[in-house]
Amino acid sequence: MGVTVLQQFPTENRTGPSTIELLSKRISALGALQQGQFLVDCETFTSCAALGHQRTVHVLHNSEQPATVFSILETGQKTIPLATDGLFDLLMMKMSGFYSSKKQTKAESKGPRYEIGDFCVKLGTVTVSQNFRGVLVEVEYRPCVVPAMCWELMREFLQGFLGSSVPATPPPYLQNRMQELYTPIDTIHQYLEQFTIFRKAPGLRP
Amino acid sequence: MSYSVNISVEAPIENQIQEITYDGTEIYQPPLTLSESLTKYAQKIDFSKTSDIDFKKEPGEAIEDNKSDSDSKDAFQSSLWPWDSARNKLRNAFQEVCVLADVLAIAKDKRYMVLDPVQQEPIETKPMVQIYARKKALAGAASVLLTGAERLKTSQNEAARNRTVPDFHIELLRLRQNWRLKKVSNTIIGDLSYRTAGSKYTQTGTFEVTKAEDDDKTNSPPSSPIPGGATTAKTNSALRVSIPSELQGVAYIEVLCQKDQEDLCSVNVNLLGSGPPASNPDMHWQQKLEAAQNVLFCKELFNQLAKEAVQLQAPIPHMVVGNQIMATVFPGIQLIIGLCHSTVGDKKQQNNNSSKTDHDHVLEHSLHQLLREVHHKNTHHPFPHPATGPLGPSKKRMLAGPMAADRYELLEMTKSETLLEQIIKQAQHFFMRLRTEYVLDTIAKEVKDPLISSHWNTLNSPTQSCVKINISTHGYDALCRTPLVIHVGEKSLKCICRDGKVMHMSYEPQELRDLIFCHINQHQILAVQALAKTMGWQFLANSNHLGTGAVEPLGNASSCLLASPTGDRIIAVRCEPQTGIQVCVAHSPRSDFFPSRLVTERKWEHLGGQFRDVRLEKMEGRNFLHKMELLMASLTSSS
Repeated sequence: MGVTVLQQFPTENRTGPSTIELLSKRISALGALQQGQFLVDCETFTSCAALGHQRTVHVLHNSEQPATVFSILETGQKTIPLATDGLFDLLMMKMSGFYSSKKQTKAESKGPRYEIGDFCVKLGTVTVSQNFRGVLVEVEYRPCVVPAMCWELMREFLQGFLGSSVPATPPPYLQNRMQELYTPIDTIHQYLEQFTIFRKAPGLRP
Repeated sequence: MSYSVNISVEAPIENQIQEITYDGTEIYQPPLTLSESLTKYAQKIDFSKTSDIDFKKEPGEAIEDNKSDSDSKDAFQSSLWPWDSARNKLRNAFQEVCVLADVLAIAKDKRYMVLDPVQQEPIETKPMVQIYARKKALAGAASVLLTGAERLKTSQNEAARNRTVPDFHIELLRLRQNWRLKKVSNTIIGDLSYRTAGSKYTQTGTFEVTKAEDDDKTNSPPSSPIPGGATTAKTNSALRVSIPSELQGVAYIEVLCQKDQEDLCSVNVNLLGSGPPASNPDMHWQQKLEAAQNVLFCKELFNQLAKEAVQLQAPIPHMVVGNQIMATVFPGIQLIIGLCHSTVGDKKQQNNNSSKTDHDHVLEHSLHQLLREVHHKNTHHPFPHPATGPLGPSKKRMLAGPMAADRYELLEMTKSETLLEQIIKQAQHFFMRLRTEYVLDTIAKEVKDPLISSHWNTLNSPTQSCVKINISTHGYDALCRTPLVIHVGEKSLKCICRDGKVMHMSYEPQELRDLIFCHINQHQILAVQALAKTMGWQFLANSNHLGTGAVEPLGNASSCLLASPTGDRIIAVRCEPQTGIQVCVAHSPRSDFFPSRLVTERKWEHLGGQFRDVRLEKMEGRNFLHKMELLMASLTSSS
């Protein structure tokens, strides 16, 4: 468990698979070894009108924490993150009368997972309801848990294989939490942020 | 005669409460009618005292009255019936009063009847008679008490005699207090398996309870007056338990540690300890059942171990042959776990047991404990239980979800140690401890100069223990001491040195030996330096790993250079693990000077002279440090 930075990689007229292939080649050239696949998915539920003020629950799964179901409740004023075990999915099914899911917004990011030294790199193809939307690159630096202490290092590493598309500042979610201890729910927040952007963006050609 | 008595009858203002319902409403009795209440009051009048005499005096009339009453009973209404007795009594009373009045009238004339006071006869009291009477009464009472006591005694004896003849139901009750029983149609079936305690072993442990045959009972007559009869009947029991043949006999698990076909130690696990042999058919059912349960336990333990031995993939595969499991603990050392189950050959076993008396109670206990622990875990789930989640996963696993454990942590959680692995680890640790002890003891015996003392921690776990080693010189303990701590694990040793360095060593005892020898050398050099400081000598140089000189087979030589307070003497000490300690002394300037062609002036002699060996063995002194102290002292004073 370390600090994770998530960022988009512009596809620039390439198809999704070819982008992933390009990045795979680059990261393999650096000496990374593929260690299986990964998957992060997000499903959004909205409360029914009878409950009054509308609330949104995002339920996310991360293959890195296979026993955990993450959920983020947005009440309008504040967001409440929650980490639970696998039974939460069943609970949401029971509550389908109060919280209905919007099927067309099911977003997921999946692809190969690489390990290179202390870093773990995941190249994810993002699909929103089965339509390709873009590429997300997740880099985790495992020895450190405080973002401020390793951001520079991670940026340099990211630049090593992503090139100039790496921003000089950390992701907006992390900017306010640079000095705090990093937890898995922070990764989930970053994914949700990115998925929200992808959902709003017009569809891309796969 | 015809007095009319006014009787006023009033009903109570409030009716009597018949019942109070739960909601508090009171149900009243219906008010009595006038006649009913009158009869009620009339019945309260007690005429018995007068009527007694009356009836004696005139029984005929009373009978007649009763007769007439009974005759008229049918005619009267049932509600009027109670009045009848009142009427009779009143009539009797009236008659008596009439007679009394007549008598009084006659006595008043004093012509026919005179009333005289009757003289009471004085009771003559003779003291002797009284005493005799009392004596007699007391004797009577005493005899009553004695016969009572006698009767109690005999009844108790009877009961005691009857107790030796066991009662089936009492015995069954006792059996039921300790064992699980149930009735299936006409038979009583018991269960001696550990299933209720959490065992998942498939073999059933059912036994049947039957009544002992009648001939057993008749053999011991219940009314036999001889007390010896009771002892013969003691072994008899009204109960008979029949145990399946595979659970009969005695079983135990034998743990042997073998080194190149030679027994190092053996352990006999027998839950009953030295119980009586099970083949005895007259054994009490309690012992019989316990023996059977022990057999079942041993079988389960062995079964579990054998299953694990087959499944485990060890570098040197474990072997399961017949009733033996063979596992390699260390190269050349095997752990053999065998199941011994015998139903007849008791004598042979006892011989075996006596030949292997050297057994370790710790391993015995561990094996026992490990399976019990598994049983306990099967029945005791960690709290709190989730209301909806599955039972069974560990507490850690249940927390893994909310704590967002990652894949590695979850993988770690799935790993669990099998019984065999645990017992092998314990055996390995046992050997590691044995070897470490041996190495330390032999070194302490071999090396006399620095003293080596080891303290074993009394608190340890089955797979970890700790020893603290102190290297010091006799008489110079305060000056320099080299402490070492060695953690003895399962397959490796961890040594924490004086300077905080951590050394990991394998199970080979030679490595520890070498390490201790290196530390002995280091200790000598450090002690000399400390001694020099206290003697006022100057410490010039020190090297723990000297590059010069012959190559050492183990470690490096260490050395130090010391200069006297005035600087005219130099001592060099070289310490080698193999060859020992070398001490050289150099003087500068030399006391005599002869100018030569190369060295023309005397001042060059201050650069230091040649080193000359000191023959330490010829020197006086208890140990190396003492010798060094004497040497330094002598060199200081001579200047």
